[in-house]
Amino acid sequence: MTLLEVKDLKQHFTIKKGFLGEKKIVKAVDGVSLHIEHGETLGIVGESGCGKSSLGRTILQLLKPTSGEIIFNGKNITHLPRREMKTVRKDMQLVFQDPYASLNPRSKIRSILETPLIVHGMNNKAERMKIIESLIDKIGIRKEQLDRYPHEFSGGQRQRIGIARSLTLNPKLIIADEPVSALDVSVQSQVLNLMVDLQKEFNLSYMFISHDLSVVQHISDRVAVMYLGKIVEIANVEDLYKNPLHPYTKALLTAVPQPDPTKKRERIILQGDLPSPVNPPSGCPFHTRCPVATAECKTEVPELREKEMGHWAACIHVQPAQLEKPRLIIS
Amino acid sequence: MLLQVKNVALSLKREGKYTKILDDVSFQVEKGETVGIVGESGCGKSLTALSIMRLLPEKAKLEGSILLDDENVTEFSKRRLEKVRGNQMSMIFQDPLTSLNPLHTVGRQIEEALILHTDSNKAERKRRVIQLLKEVGLPRAEDLVNEYPHQLSGGMRQRIMIAIAMACHPKLLICDEPTTALDVTVQAQILDLMNHLKQINDMGIIMITHDLGVVAEVCDKVIVMYAGKVVEQANVKELFLNPKHPYTKGLLESIPKLGKRKEKLGSISGMVPSPDQMPSGCRFYDRCSKKMDICKQEIPPVQEVGEDHITACWLFKKEVEEDDTSRSKGFETTLHH
Repeated sequence: MTLLEVKDLKQHFTIKKGFLGEKKIVKAVDGVSLHIEHGETLGIVGESGCGKSSLGRTILQLLKPTSGEIIFNGKNITHLPRREMKTVRKDMQLVFQDPYASLNPRSKIRSILETPLIVHGMNNKAERMKIIESLIDKIGIRKEQLDRYPHEFSGGQRQRIGIARSLTLNPKLIIADEPVSALDVSVQSQVLNLMVDLQKEFNLSYMFISHDLSVVQHISDRVAVMYLGKIVEIANVEDLYKNPLHPYTKALLTAVPQPDPTKKRERIILQGDLPSPVNPPSGCPFHTRCPVATAECKTEVPELREKEMGHWAACIHVQPAQLEKPRLIIS
Repeated sequence: MLLQVKNVALSLKREGKYTKILDDVSFQVEKGETVGIVGESGCGKSLTALSIMRLLPEKAKLEGSILLDDENVTEFSKRRLEKVRGNQMSMIFQDPLTSLNPLHTVGRQIEEALILHTDSNKAERKRRVIQLLKEVGLPRAEDLVNEYPHQLSGGMRQRIMIAIAMACHPKLLICDEPTTALDVTVQAQILDLMNHLKQINDMGIIMITHDLGVVAEVCDKVIVMYAGKVVEQANVKELFLNPKHPYTKGLLESIPKLGKRKEKLGSISGMVPSPDQMPSGCRFYDRCSKKMDICKQEIPPVQEVGEDHITACWLFKKEVEEDDTSRSKGFETTLHH
């Protein structure tokens, strides 16, 4: 069953350069369609500036979308009034990247975890404490530690507190924006394992945003690759990593340094940097760095199409395999 | 031998008293060799680099010896150090934006090293700057000379940093997390460039990183540090295929690998002890899955466990077996893991 469906979502920011300067538009998210099933993890990968964080924030309506639709749990939440949105937010929570910045340094852990419950009208203190105590037990923090301040915890513990906070309201969807990027590898694996355990226990759906392809592969069921505000490829995790179709995905996968010195792989080195999203290239946004680009790529905007069963890519050079019925919209 | 670090210990003054941050760190770097130093934050890898460069706070206490071409860097005068830094050895830092001066053009910042360390005239310097920019793979070098750091992307800035470091043909290049702030596709470009430069210049590189993938790709030899001590050292293949120290094993098991999907990642429980509360025995004791009684009391000695492979762990001390027969069975089985 589909929990979240996003249709042709756009998030454009206007920036003005200087006094009386001309207005420019940054297309941070430019026509993204995707869906997340109950209990599923969708990974979103891409380089910095590709719009992956903006996408997460737009889905949560922390940023008002420019256009497009967000359907959550069968309900169109795109234009909900504030008050109604608040009840929907109970079911969708965010975990932030930086565990140092996302916890209030002046609040004790108890009050940090309690606040969401108070905001959403749970007035019985004993009940609140019961929920909090059962939660911290799961994340490996002791009851006595509830009256400590965030600075008394390590980075990994803080991130686990951040995850616990997002779980207090028993949400259905958690959007995790680079939740392990600030952590050391041994701690990173603790947090990833915890997220997997919690997902099973609470039947959570995750949208896991990260730049780290190995981490995304580990945790995701399906993966979407973003480039300059667009999804260029989306598929099951096995299909995407074993058989990447889009040239950008191929290059990304070969660029990741592998912790295995015996493997010497052919590396596709992309030239140059990510173009500015203020002035994206015409046609296919990737054509300026693409090793297989042709003249058509400069003019023709490739559509995201199903090239193989459940495997979508936006590249005119990828030939679709014989499908019974090629679909145009992800369903 | 290009660089020999022998029994280096470093103490920094904190709240009125000295705390030992580095303890008995020894390793060597040959010409044309890339030595990786890995470990988690706070393990002392960056301070090891700063000790070699002598870029330490005024009140730091540095013991042991650091021999660069058989000359002891720890005994250099200030003036002598200024001649060596940026000339015989240079360093690249993690964040290129904060390491470059925002008020000077790129060309001027590269030229600075040439003004300080060579007798060349203005025209020669300009030629060399442009040549350097081309060497590090930057396009339109002639125009770039007059641009400012904020006009460049992260990858280009890191290339500028490399150009500055390479200006005087250093024998030793120290890179402190040079690609951590960069995207993977750009990281691949920079690692490629560094490998290329190493080959043509025949210099020694110390690569400090927490990313074991980067280590596997560029290093010849690896040093694993934990809480200010070297716990294992081996050539890169040996270390990845046959890790000995429980910490190294734990690190390798905790990283998700591309292409192999596991249900559960390994992890190391607990956290690094703070420098003023170091345990008296093995510093990894609290987090180790194979701890024994002796580990709590005595510092494990460094011992050879293979060709060019050393580790500091009681598991590999032969005498343990003989001294304590009741333990030896457990010891055998742990070895077979």
